[in-house]
Amino acid sequence: MKKTLALVLAMTMLLSIGLTGCAKKEDAAAADTIKIGWMGSLSGDQAVWGECEFNTVKMLVEEQNAKGGVLGKKIEVIGYDTKGDPQEAVNVAKRLTGQDKVVTIIGPNASGSAIPIAPVLEAAKTPDIATVATNPKVTVLDGKVKPFNFRVCFIDPYQGAAAAGYAFDVLGAKSAAILYDTGDDYSQGLTQFFEETFVAKGGKIVGKEGFKTGDVDFRPQLSKIKESAPDVIFMPYFFKEVALSSTQARELGITATLLGGDGWPSEQLISMAKDAVEGSYFVNHLDFSDPGVADYKARYKAKFSKEPEINGFLAHDAFLMFVDGITKAGEANGEKIAAALENVDVTGITGHIKIGKDTHNPEGKDAAILKIVGGNYVFQQKYAVK
Amino acid sequence: MDSYVQGIIMLAGINLMAVLGLSLLTGFTGLFSFGHAGFMAIGAYTAACCTVKLHMPFIPALLVAAIVTAGASWVIGKLTLNLKGDYFCIATLGFGEAIKLILDNVQYFGGARGWPGIPAYTNIWNVLIIDLIGVIILANLIGSRHGRNMIAVREEELASQIVGIDVFKYKLKSLMISAAYAGIAGGLLAHYMTFLQPKMFAMAKSTELTIIVIFGGLGSISGSVLGSFVLTSLPEMLRSFDKWRLVCYGLAVIIIMISRPEGLMGGYELTPSSIKKMIFNFKHRKQKALPVSEGGK
Amino acid sequence: MLQFLQQLINGLSIGSVYALMAVGYSLVYSIMNFSNFAHGGVIMLGAYFGFFYLTIYKMPFIAAFAAAALTTALLAVVIERTAYKPLRDRKAPFLYFIISAMGASIFLENIVIATIGPTFRTYPQVVEKAPVAIGSLSIGRLDIMMFIISAICLGLLVYVIDHTKIGKAITATSYSTKGSALMGVNTDFIIITVFAIGGLLAGVAGVLFGMKYTVYPQIGFITLKSFIAAVFGGLGSLPGAVIGSVLLGVIETFTSGYLSSQYRDLIAFVLLITVLVVRPMGLMGKVTEDKA
Repeated sequence: MKKTLALVLAMTMLLSIGLTGCAKKEDAAAADTIKIGWMGSLSGDQAVWGECEFNTVKMLVEEQNAKGGVLGKKIEVIGYDTKGDPQEAVNVAKRLTGQDKVVTIIGPNASGSAIPIAPVLEAAKTPDIATVATNPKVTVLDGKVKPFNFRVCFIDPYQGAAAAGYAFDVLGAKSAAILYDTGDDYSQGLTQFFEETFVAKGGKIVGKEGFKTGDVDFRPQLSKIKESAPDVIFMPYFFKEVALSSTQARELGITATLLGGDGWPSEQLISMAKDAVEGSYFVNHLDFSDPGVADYKARYKAKFSKEPEINGFLAHDAFLMFVDGITKAGEANGEKIAAALENVDVTGITGHIKIGKDTHNPEGKDAAILKIVGGNYVFQQKYAVK
Repeated sequence: MDSYVQGIIMLAGINLMAVLGLSLLTGFTGLFSFGHAGFMAIGAYTAACCTVKLHMPFIPALLVAAIVTAGASWVIGKLTLNLKGDYFCIATLGFGEAIKLILDNVQYFGGARGWPGIPAYTNIWNVLIIDLIGVIILANLIGSRHGRNMIAVREEELASQIVGIDVFKYKLKSLMISAAYAGIAGGLLAHYMTFLQPKMFAMAKSTELTIIVIFGGLGSISGSVLGSFVLTSLPEMLRSFDKWRLVCYGLAVIIIMISRPEGLMGGYELTPSSIKKMIFNFKHRKQKALPVSEGGK
Repeated sequence: MLQFLQQLINGLSIGSVYALMAVGYSLVYSIMNFSNFAHGGVIMLGAYFGFFYLTIYKMPFIAAFAAAALTTALLAVVIERTAYKPLRDRKAPFLYFIISAMGASIFLENIVIATIGPTFRTYPQVVEKAPVAIGSLSIGRLDIMMFIISAICLGLLVYVIDHTKIGKAITATSYSTKGSALMGVNTDFIIITVFAIGGLLAGVAGVLFGMKYTVYPQIGFITLKSFIAAVFGGLGSLPGAVIGSVLLGVIETFTSGYLSSQYRDLIAFVLLITVLVVRPMGLMGKVTEDKA
């Protein structure tokens, strides 16, 4: 019995190895194209963002190729869907580095996907530039910087602190309540840093309520928050829940100012909750109406017939980082590009990006505070936490 | 063999451990569980605790994980196995969700933000060897008196009780063993991904495991083996159709249930003797057409 | 005191949503003795049907509502014919039904994602958004409307079951399929009717859910709560489903409001297990003994 089953197992494994190994084996990079990879959510809740990122990268690759490519060769981008799942992300990373043999990966957008791919990147010596992954542990773990992980956005501690600082210093809020998604890493991260900064500045957190990802009714939590009458309510989660919770808050008669993070901006937020979020503020990576940005928006709209989402802007700058990195490295070699990326200093549409050697994060990138007025995002100011 | 293919095989192997456990519970004992990912989660976090916080070596950590998970299942089992079918299903659903909820909120394990930095102990060899041991143990269990009792419970609970089988005891045994397998699978997963996030053990994972068991066939170990490897590598091969993958899975499950609930393997095990028999039958099929003599002795 | 009342209103509002979803589910259970996990998917599609009738066909509200409910009823019957009837004919074990139902629910959720897309849709505004304010308590107008519609539907359902011939046939079949068949009841037709009624209720629940919140493919996930509520109240009992749902909604809300919103679901789960340990058939459930 034992022998036969061992045989069975062995046969089955060989069968599947054969099946998988034979499938989609790409040829080694052709001599005159440079391959880059893209990974992100093309399905699931964040599909709309992932799609925009991938479109942007494709568009920029085309434009760059029209200018002669990079290092005299054309660029080819290969993209895969991570489905927002860490396991898939690891698979995709292995596929991009092992089979497609890309020299750099752009994305993912989710920290939960960016963190586990680190060992894969190190084994393959391929750098990755995350677009909107804001968890600090993506680039730095236990005090050590990960050699092949980079990012082009600010991190949760910075964002949470910026929101708290703006609320206290500029809006003059003395008390704040937080409603957050207990099952979401982004939400938990922002909440922690908001709380720390707000309290450190002298403010008081009068309410901290949680909900589960997928919830649609926040009235129990909001009623409790209403009781404690905060000056502002911090809602660090994504647009769908923001739309629902802000509408319900207004229905309950809550008049406090609402505050949020970069998970807010989306066409759907406005279409669903225009009145409810009127007069709210949120922390963003850039000013949407910055003239430097308008050009990219126009090109995107012309090509894809819709407005770009926040991720597109960051993917744009991630690509600029890559171009700068590979040009400085002079060679389509992952290790050299990674070394070059440590000294990147470019100006993109999201601001001046200077990568810090110890953190692989953009240093000194100010956050932009936007206010929603009449269904439009109106830039207030650039804010940096003191 | 490049690391991509290796990775797929490792994932399939990890899934296989959990699937074997679920197969025992659902396929052989007839209990449907919506929350098996919860057991995987318990095993994963326990194993990670052992290696990261207690600095234990890998295999003992996995064993501790298996024991803890089996213990947790004992508690759940005692409370819920007395319930009738549907009630038990809902209870397992609640359990799976409850585990994820606790893990999301307990910051010691990283909470929803996850726990990075777990040592990468899993490699293709220990996955396959553990799988092999798992299959052998399970096959021996099924072939033994205990296994036959479990199958009896699946087929006709009331009759089994009348014949003197302690139905509750066997359901509990089955649950504990299946939980232990899931726990080991979880530990392997933790040390493969080097990162744990409660999101990895959401209901989608439980559903994925159940689908593999069904495809392979309820009541067939080799079916589960085949199912794991095929269904883990299939999405990779069919990336372009990914949007439709789950649609097809859902439809396939319905079709399998209506037409061939025995799944791929039809309740049979793939062994060299059965393969020999198949070839023999095929060769001699013409002779089978001869008329059968009337009348019995 | 005010906070208590407001939370009570919140809880009743959430509970009434669960109740509409749970009743259809419990109804099917009472006849077929199995859990139709595809019910969630049907409710979700009901929400989509309503949305499309209102936006694309621009039908007036009442017509769209009725059309959505009818389409959903049709869908429920189709699912029964394809996924469950073949199993009934083969006298398959109960396990197969659950698996088939799970398959149907996965299929429904993903076919919507694959075809219509995962982004959520908002219902056009039908009811005035501003809530009714009693002092500083706030009751949504939509909640009042939902309450009235639910009450009407449930009232009609009770009337049909208790006072019409077909209602009696349904009750008879729920006690014994074979027995009713022997008495001349066309059990196949009864089963179709039950699923159709369940589908109607699902359609109503879906449209109301969509109006109150929003429409997206994962609505089926919320219905898991209503399944828990139905189990809590006792599967197979319609009053049980309603009471279980309302209780669950209120308990959830009070837990959130007074204890801890993070662990709300955990407490609900512990409550469920406790009730089931003490009363294995739920609060008002049918005691189904295995007939030897």
